[in-house]
Amino acid sequence: MAASSIAARELLHNIKLIPYYQKSSCLFSRRISTSKLQCSSQPPEKSAPQQLVGVVGLEIHAQISSNTKLFSGSSVQFLAPPNSSVSFFDASLPGTLPVLNRRCVEAAVMTGLALNCTINKKSVFDRKHYFYADLPAGYQITQQRRPVAVDGVLTYSFLGGRKRSQVMRKNVHIKQIQLEQDSGKSLHDDVNSQTLIDLNRAGVGLMELVMEPDMSCGEEAAAAVRELQLILQALGTCQGNMSEGQLRVDANVSVHRPGEPLGTRTEVKNINSIRYLARAIDFEVQRQTAVVRRGGAVLNETRAYDSKSGETVAMRDKEGLQDYRFMPEPNLPPLLVFEDEASLPAGVEAGEAVLLRTLRARLPELPSVRRDRLVQTYGLLPEHSFTLVNEDGLMEYFEAVMKGTSRDPRKVIGWVTNELLGLLKQQDLSVSHSPVLPAALAELLELQEAGCISSSAAKQVFQEMWRSPGKAALQIIQELDLGLVSDAADLHRICQKVVDSHPDKVRAVRSGNQKVLNKLMGLVQKETKGRADPVLVREILQEKTS
Amino acid sequence: MIKMLAFQTLRVVSLEILGSSCNLLANNVRSITKRCSPRSLQSQILRPLSSHQHNLKVPKVPTWEHVPEEELPRPTKIPADLVDRLERLALVDFRTQQGLECLEKAIRFADQLHVVDTSGVEPMDSVLEDRALYLRDDTVTEGDCAEELLKLAKNTVEEYFVAPPGNIPLPKREERAAILRHSEF
Amino acid sequence: MLGLTLKEVSLAFREGKISPTELCRKCLNRIKKTQRLNAYITVTEEFAMKQARQSEARLLQGIPKGPLDGIPFAVKDNFCTANIRTTCASKMLKDYTPPYNATVVQKLLDQGAVLMGKTNMDEFAMGAGSTDGAFGPVRNPWSYSDSYRTQGGAASDSDWVITGGSSGGSAAAVASCTSYLALGSDTGGSTRNPGALCGVFALKPTYGLVSRHGLIPLVNSMDVPGIITRSVSDAAIALGVLQGIDVRDSTTVPAPSALAELPEDFDVKNICVGIPKEYHAPGLSEETLAQWSRVADLFEKAGARVEQVSLPHTQYSIVCYHVLCHTEVASNMARFDGLEYGHRSEMKSSTEVMYASTRHEGFNDVVRGRILSGNYFLLKQNYQHYFVKAQKVRRLIADDFRHVFGSGVDVLLTPTTLTDAACYHDFTQEDNRTRSAQEDVFTQPANIAGLPAVSVPIALSRRGLPIGLQLIGPALEDKKLLCVAQWVEQRVNFPSISDCDNTQESRKDPGVTRREQTSAI
Repeated sequence: MAASSIAARELLHNIKLIPYYQKSSCLFSRRISTSKLQCSSQPPEKSAPQQLVGVVGLEIHAQISSNTKLFSGSSVQFLAPPNSSVSFFDASLPGTLPVLNRRCVEAAVMTGLALNCTINKKSVFDRKHYFYADLPAGYQITQQRRPVAVDGVLTYSFLGGRKRSQVMRKNVHIKQIQLEQDSGKSLHDDVNSQTLIDLNRAGVGLMELVMEPDMSCGEEAAAAVRELQLILQALGTCQGNMSEGQLRVDANVSVHRPGEPLGTRTEVKNINSIRYLARAIDFEVQRQTAVVRRGGAVLNETRAYDSKSGETVAMRDKEGLQDYRFMPEPNLPPLLVFEDEASLPAGVEAGEAVLLRTLRARLPELPSVRRDRLVQTYGLLPEHSFTLVNEDGLMEYFEAVMKGTSRDPRKVIGWVTNELLGLLKQQDLSVSHSPVLPAALAELLELQEAGCISSSAAKQVFQEMWRSPGKAALQIIQELDLGLVSDAADLHRICQKVVDSHPDKVRAVRSGNQKVLNKLMGLVQKETKGRADPVLVREILQEKTS
Repeated sequence: MIKMLAFQTLRVVSLEILGSSCNLLANNVRSITKRCSPRSLQSQILRPLSSHQHNLKVPKVPTWEHVPEEELPRPTKIPADLVDRLERLALVDFRTQQGLECLEKAIRFADQLHVVDTSGVEPMDSVLEDRALYLRDDTVTEGDCAEELLKLAKNTVEEYFVAPPGNIPLPKREERAAILRHSEF
Repeated sequence: MLGLTLKEVSLAFREGKISPTELCRKCLNRIKKTQRLNAYITVTEEFAMKQARQSEARLLQGIPKGPLDGIPFAVKDNFCTANIRTTCASKMLKDYTPPYNATVVQKLLDQGAVLMGKTNMDEFAMGAGSTDGAFGPVRNPWSYSDSYRTQGGAASDSDWVITGGSSGGSAAAVASCTSYLALGSDTGGSTRNPGALCGVFALKPTYGLVSRHGLIPLVNSMDVPGIITRSVSDAAIALGVLQGIDVRDSTTVPAPSALAELPEDFDVKNICVGIPKEYHAPGLSEETLAQWSRVADLFEKAGARVEQVSLPHTQYSIVCYHVLCHTEVASNMARFDGLEYGHRSEMKSSTEVMYASTRHEGFNDVVRGRILSGNYFLLKQNYQHYFVKAQKVRRLIADDFRHVFGSGVDVLLTPTTLTDAACYHDFTQEDNRTRSAQEDVFTQPANIAGLPAVSVPIALSRRGLPIGLQLIGPALEDKKLLCVAQWVEQRVNFPSISDCDNTQESRKDPGVTRREQTSAI
């Protein structure tokens, strides 16, 4: 048999197989994405000249939160002395072999489940070869051919519309989640022209998530990554801190006219916050749009984001030379994941295996479910639920306050999203660093609810609590004499003073303009530093102006 | 047995890549051919079994021959730029014509695979493909051994391994040859 | 004493006929006397004496650890040994001292076995002659045997023959009686091939039965630590110690049964011996063919069912092996860059220049050649055409074995090598790749399919050199395979090397030797 005919036969065979590999759901979501791109920022108008729009896909590396590395029993720690957390395997000593960490598999499977992925019951590992000083083996173990999870969807939302108060909901397709090793770190010492190598990070488990190019701008990408971050944090599979490199995002950006084929893409790297992600993508979309409008061609290249200038700059490429020469990792038999104990083959202990049913049961409340629950339980507006969930710890704070007060949640949400969050943002603090603890705020709100202080006094008390952490609301009320003045004689005296000194306003009220009564009330509150019982004051003033 | 032998057409090994060893193999083949003429075999079969008689279950002549050159695809010629690319990817260096020939011979040898019909056959990574991978507990068992590791390295600074400056691609072939000339062992 | 089997020595210890330190000293002396064989890269004299003293103390206290306590053993220099340099016979690792023991080494040390040294090999186990290492070629002890000197017509010292390889040093160590047991590695026949050419018993266990942790890999998906001994029962004892799950090697499988003693009276009446017809390959010597036929007769006469079977893809196995081996080599060798360990070039204009010059200086032509072609097969444009194709052929080969064993065959009987050992001078006329393709032709299919296989020394050729035959069994049937091998061993009376002690002490009846030779023709 001549070799060429065999080759042709195999080719035919492969072609026949192709339709089986492509899932219908995959095709479906691609269609969604295309149509969505058309309506990315403005609704499409067939008559309008076709605008260039951005097409954004993401490649995300999430460091798995685990005690030990993906294939070795050395610890995962940040800020450890150089090379203090490196096993013989991590240093690629000859003869050492990878031994897979169950925790890392579970983390990837749980993440896959949370992102509605299909979990591959059997996945395999591959070697990806390239030489780099912080890659000791000369290859990275990854999952190129058959990753642990494929074909998922991430639903994310962001506040859009005129007043940025409308919750916009979108989908991005997750192509796959693969397990792979992190590399070490290179410190370039230009003075002594050398590179210092620290292998503490080498071999830490990563989940690589590939998000399909279903996004069109920085804002969408940022919202998708934020949602992913929340999901990972809720799952506990990744701490998700971008500035510490626990979550690394590379963006594939191109521009095209809707309906036309995708343009040449660039890969933007070196993005270390969500804010920069949005800026880098928007810059890149604009840059490419300008190139195309000039009649130029976008180059397929890797670009780095420079956060100082806000621009992306071309990085030196491997001159089209790179070829990763993938091959199966021969030291790791296939990774098997089972549905439940009943599906375990002989010789595999339940405690040693990864069981989908068990992991599904362990899935915590995910952000979208949280938001729905907040809306239903507390009657909050969707945008409030969005803020509560998207700010780290704010939902927990809110729910802790709710436990200590009987006030209307819709009143409490104002306190949390305005007073508390305002001060936190002003001082660049996270919720966990709030000087006012939820119980203290609840106590304050209770005092207000009980009629002990007015709402304006309550705000003063809150400010004081912020400045003097640990001081109870009641104590501050007493010290600052902010308690509600409800002594009728006192209030009569003060009201009389205001009425006497503003005869014009009194006349206006008497001539039927009831709105002016409120102004008088304000003047009384000013006299009492906001402590006067508004109900009583109103009664007295009505009486005095009638 | 006789039938099988009758169908044997012994051909002198024609695979060039086997080089002079072919002669050696061919010699053996020929000598065996001579010894196994059907008549002598027949007489052996008729003779009662003895310790000197050939066991009939063991084939008396080779049952296959090397793949003839004409059944193989055309030989691959490796262009110089591909060798250069390979050397840069693999970070090994040949520079000599001999190295290129060695590569071409290795490819030629591999080409014999293409006479095998593998349609419908799944590739096999490992003989353990049906076995579940062992998974380890997430507990720290190793790793605190910087001193032990660093003393294996020829060059260290404090607790770091040291590499020369990075992100500089390997120079072109000619320059490379000049550099490596100085690094003969 | 040196010519005894491990079992016999263990008994001699207990009976006080010899002590571990005495035996250790004898072996060390013999290593010195046989230095020209170049079997050892490193002799661990001090460490060996220390271990022997500890073993002796245990014996005196009546608490020996087991059958291996005090037994001198050798280890191929591609198994890591803590604080003992491990070179892989390469300049790349010539000063490399690993910080840990390979699991198999640790298990033997834990049993009280005494490490004599690290044995010579082909660089990174790439070769089939033990002629391509940075420490020079290994000489086959039979080169200096009476049988070869007189019958082979060897005239001068330059006529010495190779050991085969790549575990030639280990085979030479056992054949020349400087160790009772040696570890080799077997990727495509590297233990069985020198076992056959040096006239010793060699076992390649089922893939995964013995841990590879600490074995510097050649082809991870085929490598198996091999065992070389002077008798089948010795190998069974060693396998009993070495086999089983190692959590450091995810490709290990549970041992199907404990293994200590093999039954002395194993009956072959109920077994079926398959003769794969494709193992009469072009180039098989008539003497080897005659031995193959003779042993088939032995089985038949003893009442075993002997059947000709077919493994139709055998011819392509060596080609498949060639591609898979080169690709894994390309990958496995990537770690040797001089940064964390091993040889490091002085060139330092850039990381890549340092890497390239380190690899240029550290690897021999064979290694670099395999790296280059392996990378070629893995290039995106070639991956399907060569690598995946080879993987498909691999399945066909594995399936061939599956069908045969599924049809009721218990064990396959084949030659181990095409011929007896070649003279060094003749062997090196061919390049390493061509030689490997010839030498591994019968042995690598068992690695491709992960099956247990042994080489049993059968007889001496007209040149006075050993001829071995191979037995291949189904996966995890190592014990049964050893039983059959022992049955053969008991019947062929293979002579031990005649000059072991430069005395007549260990020589078997010379008449036996002659008888073997006549029957070989």
